[in-house]
Amino acid sequence: MEANRYLRPATLEEAHQILLQDAKNVLLGGGLWLKKSTSSANALVDLSTLGLGAIKDLGNAVEVGAMVSLRDFELSPLLKDIQGGILIEAVGQIMGVAFRNGATIGGSVAGRFPFSDIITPLLALDTTVVFYPHKEMSLKDFLSFKGRLSDILTHVVIKKSKGPSFFKKVKTTALDFAVINVAIANVNGEYRIAIGSRPSVASLAVKSMEVVNGAKKLSPELIVMVADLASEELLYASTGAASAEYRKALARAYVKRGLEEVSK
Amino acid sequence: MKTKVVNHKTPSVDGKGIMMGRPAFTDDLAEPNSLIVKVLRSPHAFARIKKIDVSKAKVLTGVEVVLTYHDVPRTSFTRAGQGYPEPSPHDKFILDEYVRYVGDEVACVAAINESIADQALKLIEVEYEVLEPVLDFETAYENKNVIHPEDGIREMFPIGFEPKKNVAAAYDMHIGDVEEALAKCDIVVDETYYTQAQAHAMLEPHTANARLDYHNRLVIYTSTQTPYHVRRIISQTLDMPISKIRVIKPRVGGGFGGKQALHSEFFVSLVTLKTKKPSKMIYSRQEVFESSYTRHPMRMRMRIGAMKDGTIKAIDSDSLSDTGAYGEHALTVFMITGSKVLPLYNKVDAVHFGGRVVYTNHVSAGAFRGYGAIQGNFALESAIDVLAKKLSIDPLELRRKNMMDEGETSPIFAIMGEGTEGTAMDMDTCKLRYCLDRGAELIGWKDKYPFVKAGPHKVRAVGMAIAMQGSGIPYIDMAAATIKLNDDGFYNLTVGATDIGQGSDTVITQIVAEALMTTVDKVIIYSSDTDLTPFDVGAYASSTTYVSGNAALKAALKMKGMLIKEAANYLKVKEEEIVFDGEKFFAKDKVLTLSDMANRLYYNDNQHQLSATESYVGHKSPPPFMAGYVEIELDTETGEYDILHYVSVVDCGVTINPMLARGQVEGGIVQGLGMACFEDVKYSNRGKLNSNSFLYYKIPTMLDVKKLTTEFAESYEESGPYGAKSVGEIGIDTPPAAIANAVANATGVRINNLPVTPEKIFQGLNKRK
Amino acid sequence: MKVNFNLNGRNVSYDIPPGEYLADTLRNHSFLSVKKACDEAVCGACTVLLDGRPILSCSFLSARVEGRNVTTVEAVQDDVDEISNFFSDEGADQCGFCNTGLALTILALRKELKNPTDEDIKHFVVGNLCRCSGYQAQFKAIKNYLEAHK
Repeated sequence: MEANRYLRPATLEEAHQILLQDAKNVLLGGGLWLKKSTSSANALVDLSTLGLGAIKDLGNAVEVGAMVSLRDFELSPLLKDIQGGILIEAVGQIMGVAFRNGATIGGSVAGRFPFSDIITPLLALDTTVVFYPHKEMSLKDFLSFKGRLSDILTHVVIKKSKGPSFFKKVKTTALDFAVINVAIANVNGEYRIAIGSRPSVASLAVKSMEVVNGAKKLSPELIVMVADLASEELLYASTGAASAEYRKALARAYVKRGLEEVSK
Repeated sequence: MKTKVVNHKTPSVDGKGIMMGRPAFTDDLAEPNSLIVKVLRSPHAFARIKKIDVSKAKVLTGVEVVLTYHDVPRTSFTRAGQGYPEPSPHDKFILDEYVRYVGDEVACVAAINESIADQALKLIEVEYEVLEPVLDFETAYENKNVIHPEDGIREMFPIGFEPKKNVAAAYDMHIGDVEEALAKCDIVVDETYYTQAQAHAMLEPHTANARLDYHNRLVIYTSTQTPYHVRRIISQTLDMPISKIRVIKPRVGGGFGGKQALHSEFFVSLVTLKTKKPSKMIYSRQEVFESSYTRHPMRMRMRIGAMKDGTIKAIDSDSLSDTGAYGEHALTVFMITGSKVLPLYNKVDAVHFGGRVVYTNHVSAGAFRGYGAIQGNFALESAIDVLAKKLSIDPLELRRKNMMDEGETSPIFAIMGEGTEGTAMDMDTCKLRYCLDRGAELIGWKDKYPFVKAGPHKVRAVGMAIAMQGSGIPYIDMAAATIKLNDDGFYNLTVGATDIGQGSDTVITQIVAEALMTTVDKVIIYSSDTDLTPFDVGAYASSTTYVSGNAALKAALKMKGMLIKEAANYLKVKEEEIVFDGEKFFAKDKVLTLSDMANRLYYNDNQHQLSATESYVGHKSPPPFMAGYVEIELDTETGEYDILHYVSVVDCGVTINPMLARGQVEGGIVQGLGMACFEDVKYSNRGKLNSNSFLYYKIPTMLDVKKLTTEFAESYEESGPYGAKSVGEIGIDTPPAAIANAVANATGVRINNLPVTPEKIFQGLNKRK
Repeated sequence: MKVNFNLNGRNVSYDIPPGEYLADTLRNHSFLSVKKACDEAVCGACTVLLDGRPILSCSFLSARVEGRNVTTVEAVQDDVDEISNFFSDEGADQCGFCNTGLALTILALRKELKNPTDEDIKHFVVGNLCRCSGYQAQFKAIKNYLEAHK
């Protein structure tokens, strides 16, 4: 692609300043699909030398640096341990191995891509996004944050949790975007239901979660009712890949199956 | 017949070198300082260029040439690579005042690097008169918007060309009186089917490069299936003698019909001729999708009439084909929708096949493996299953009762050829019955048909289809081969036959090695160079094994005769006394090695070059046949389904190279499954192809088809080289009907338009509730 | 700008425009085994190895390989020679355009996965699209190759 300069700033401060200088100074994640959205840039800003490529055990959480590749994310025993490996199951379905060796977790989350298969299960867990200059917010808040973000996403922090989980990516071929994706987890007794690629980016099915968390027992009838609710309470739209009506039907089917799975 | 090389596992002659990274493909062989050629493309589906100003582009530093329709010859031609005179209308100009689809060529630039070429494109100012496009092929006929209003276009012989009515071609034939026959039937099935504009999606994008050699001749390297047609069409269009042009086809990264037409050859030729510098053009993947070719999307109305006992009496096939903006392959694909499908049920009293091919402002449709047979097969084989259900007869039984058998014929063969009349022929080999029975066994039909429950909302079902194709075009396709003996006793084999990855270089080498009783390493093949290799129409119509292979066999037998004559001369015996084992000549008590004889022939004694050239034109096109069976697992709640197993049992005569033949079938099956299940074509309402990238157009991956089983029937076609028929296309034909039939067996839902998507199944299931 | 890295065992220093992608840089320096097929990080034909791991060179900025090791087929000839035998044994070699990227992926697979199941193998090479072969012959070839190296 057309670019005037390639920069490897020595500090986050320097990187931040460069980004603030010019809207055409572009921060690189994996940069794999950069040429699809940007035909020309002024400076390309690479953070690979700033120590953001590590996965750290924080005791009660796992901290993932923004420059960690999706493949390294996928191979991490620390992350596999969280909630029955739902994150690994999801990230392993993103394109192929070579793609995942290039793409980064920071790029995937910062981009808030509607078709993202990793955001959906992260949303179902307790995930915090960390920015430079120092700011933290929950992934949930970040997804609904409106307005331009000029801060640099440096880490994704996922609280460790155990419990059953369910992930489904509905797709045409193995290398496809999700027609819809569903992540359900029982995190320390609390059910979380996240549905993404509707085509919009993942959201929590809050009303459905309220019902299911307020119930004493998850009967088959209740599960069907909650699945119905999940297919109604969120916004589903039609695209070339599927109609809104079909997406709703898929959400209904997979929330049902997911709840059956995690409540076994 | 026992053979030593043919029908034995043989590595391809080029697989190792290619995998080891040797420069072999067209762009690998481009001159290093080639000018980069790029094309400005129309953003409108239909428009007239009112004004085009290239002055700013021309003065950009690094730009060498900018061409508009004012600067190029005004000769109409067809881009279709077919025999001359072509059955496709001459309806294309290199650059024109009209643009007829989003992606059509507007102007051409050549610059010293890609970046400057891109900048130059942006500096070209075009004022369009935007016209109302025709985007629905079902309303194209006699539409008030005429896509080809211009003068100077024509058909080469009558093909039903009526551009003022948006008709590129039309065809109609009938045997008997089909209405009368249908009226007498107990049951008539009347169904209409739609197929989509599948993209070839070959991995190597279209590319060509040109240079002037030291003879000052134009030399074009191009990723093509038809080098000789390229040479002729460039000569006619640029009005330069054919003798001044050389076309070379290097290794090709996939064609499947998508390179059976010219693409960038005009532009690199013009740029090189104007600048005297080498130039190259590589299509971006978006250009491959939007600006090369697609399969012809079609609507087919199929009426089949039968008696209660299952005897099929009449078939009426009425079709409409969308050839897009230009008419490449319009008539011929259309005709094969009937001619390589309807003969499957040859015992009917009456058949009618007819319809039109219309222009629209879509991407131009062209040749694509199957070439009409896959579209027609989807319609016919789906309708046969519908008929079976109506009659309450097992679909295999219905086919057994009515399908083509060995020794039989169909009057359709004589009537329908490639744009003209056909060639009558008997099915000297037709193992369809065996293929059908064996396939049923391999898929487990009797335990699985129509479906079995596999879980709370899962069923497993089976579906099938039979198919036929052809082996070259009789009396039209010509191939030739030259074999020359070298000192030391090895051979050079030159053929025009075009290897596009299907392995024709290997297969033809095997045929020659077999005939000369030697090994493959002693026969060095070189192919598809219009200066050095003898003529061949190219790789299409499943012709390379049958037609080109036969030419090579003839040449080899001629060479063998010449060798024996020379040996008899040296040994001073009569020819009949010579016994040749490929390496040595024996007569009475004398022995002469081929290697010694060759050395003597070139250095010592009665020196002369031994060289044999032979040609072949087919007198028939013996069809390969197959039965395809699929097993799916379908989710009755969501309509999603997995492809568990695809069984193919094929009669292609003898397999010259069993592994490569299997590869042709399996590659075809997966490509056919792509069309059947995954490859959805989407246009915007302004005529832009939205599915113009691998991100949105999904071709099958290794995980999408769980298992393939492929077997070949024992079969020996006398007219083919060592008993072979061709096998390049037959694999692609059965999956759409097999899948649609399996889905119907699983759910009772009939999907009549491709691809068969989970959402369509879901909606069908909903309707039934 | 200059990018300094180790290419096929040799240290090189190439002049590149800042936004150039690795596939173009490599092809411009005559490493023609690197193929461009889709140019949008989907099909895998452009796969090369970066520190032994497969990446998509058509969409990987050349500047990013600074100080790292890049491997193309030109550097692993004996290995690829061997893999090609397994491919031709199954008739998996057709047009060959996807083969160089696939061969490097197979070499990476052999290093990374110990005792892979059939599914593991398929998941590892799923990002290498092929339009010619229908994949089954490729899969058998890969399995046989891995067996031979157990």
